[in-house]
Amino acid sequence: MKIQPRIIFSLSMGWVLLTGCLNNRYITPVTTFHSSTAQTISTISAFYSSRNAYEIQIYLAGVAADSTLAVGTTDASGQPTPLGQPVFSAASIKARLDALSVVATYASRLYDLANTSAPSDFATAGSALGSNLGSLDKTFQTLAGSKDPTANKYVGPISSLIGTIGQLYLNGKRDQMVKDAIQHGGQDVNTILSQIRDDMDNIFSAEIITGANEQLASAVVAYNKDRNGLSYDQRVARLAQIQGLAEAASSATASAPSHLVAAMLDANNALIKSASAPPNSKQSALATLNTALSEWISEIQTVSAEIKPLLK
Amino acid sequence: MATLDTATLTTIVNQCFANSMNNQFSLQDQNSFLVEGKRLRGQLLNLLSAQFNDGTPQLAAANTSLTKVNSDLGNSAAVLASTAATLNDIASLVSNLDKLLPLAASFV
Repeated sequence: MKIQPRIIFSLSMGWVLLTGCLNNRYITPVTTFHSSTAQTISTISAFYSSRNAYEIQIYLAGVAADSTLAVGTTDASGQPTPLGQPVFSAASIKARLDALSVVATYASRLYDLANTSAPSDFATAGSALGSNLGSLDKTFQTLAGSKDPTANKYVGPISSLIGTIGQLYLNGKRDQMVKDAIQHGGQDVNTILSQIRDDMDNIFSAEIITGANEQLASAVVAYNKDRNGLSYDQRVARLAQIQGLAEAASSATASAPSHLVAAMLDANNALIKSASAPPNSKQSALATLNTALSEWISEIQTVSAEIKPLLK
Repeated sequence: MATLDTATLTTIVNQCFANSMNNQFSLQDQNSFLVEGKRLRGQLLNLLSAQFNDGTPQLAAANTSLTKVNSDLGNSAAVLASTAATLNDIASLVSNLDKLLPLAASFV
């Protein structure tokens, strides 16, 4: 019998929750939050980074399907093709990736805080971190002042979150520091993640769904044009390709990883509630956090498999 | 700030692709639906995050055109009966959207 990773995680969480009261109650949830954040950001970053390559693939597949079409950087109507101009600007992709990197840094600092008992270590690490974050903040301020306004909406929460991360090193009381960091930084993380989720729902879902339908339609129309000149084996091969594209189109609705971002939001909210829970409801808040973290881990596995065809 | 009705445009793009695979249409019309669907999708990706100043007349006209074309495409019997007129309306929509992009005030 195969034991599900979720069950193993739940059992280990239960054990640590029992013993955690004697030790540092933030270690396990913050460690899980840190590792899940890294996996989530890796998945979403790969998704963002591959959008323009995905559009080039759709364009070239359309050209391949229609022998009357010439490949080029500009189409017959004078519009740039995905080969001639990226569909999604480099600045807008970078803004999103940089926002994710700030969230990753927040999770790393929480992890560091919860897993060390030597505040002097924080100061050394904090000095290097401060330079990196300051540089990142300037990148966003520059982007916000440029012609690419995509970055504007990220500047506020990122500046605020950078401030919170910097404050983590100013106080030597570990548990209180972790609690403060979650309460102050968690809301900014929520704001950034909400914007990323909305991006997925409003922009990238439409891109993926219409892209999958375009690829299917191109292959079907090409087959119907060419079928009289195709051998039996060629028709079978073309129809097998169409079957694959039809399956991709039918599953495209849920392909944008917004569910993954939503699961991360749920876990972050549960972490915030846990940090601010009064003593008489701490166990209940930790149980809720346990469930949210477990569901997030499950979503990471699901989404990682689902978006593989979209990573070109 | 105002935005284009990109949800309706997405529906139209998908309906164009669906019609291109519908053998009730002639091969030529199927190809026309595919070509228009591709052009509309290119415009959709450019306009998804565009914002316009309130009261931009070209935006209002484009949204009205989107609603009409979407309504027409929803009536499959009427589209089959007057395919040429539907394709003309879609071509006009493409032309209107081409003129809209340079008017965007910002992209969010």
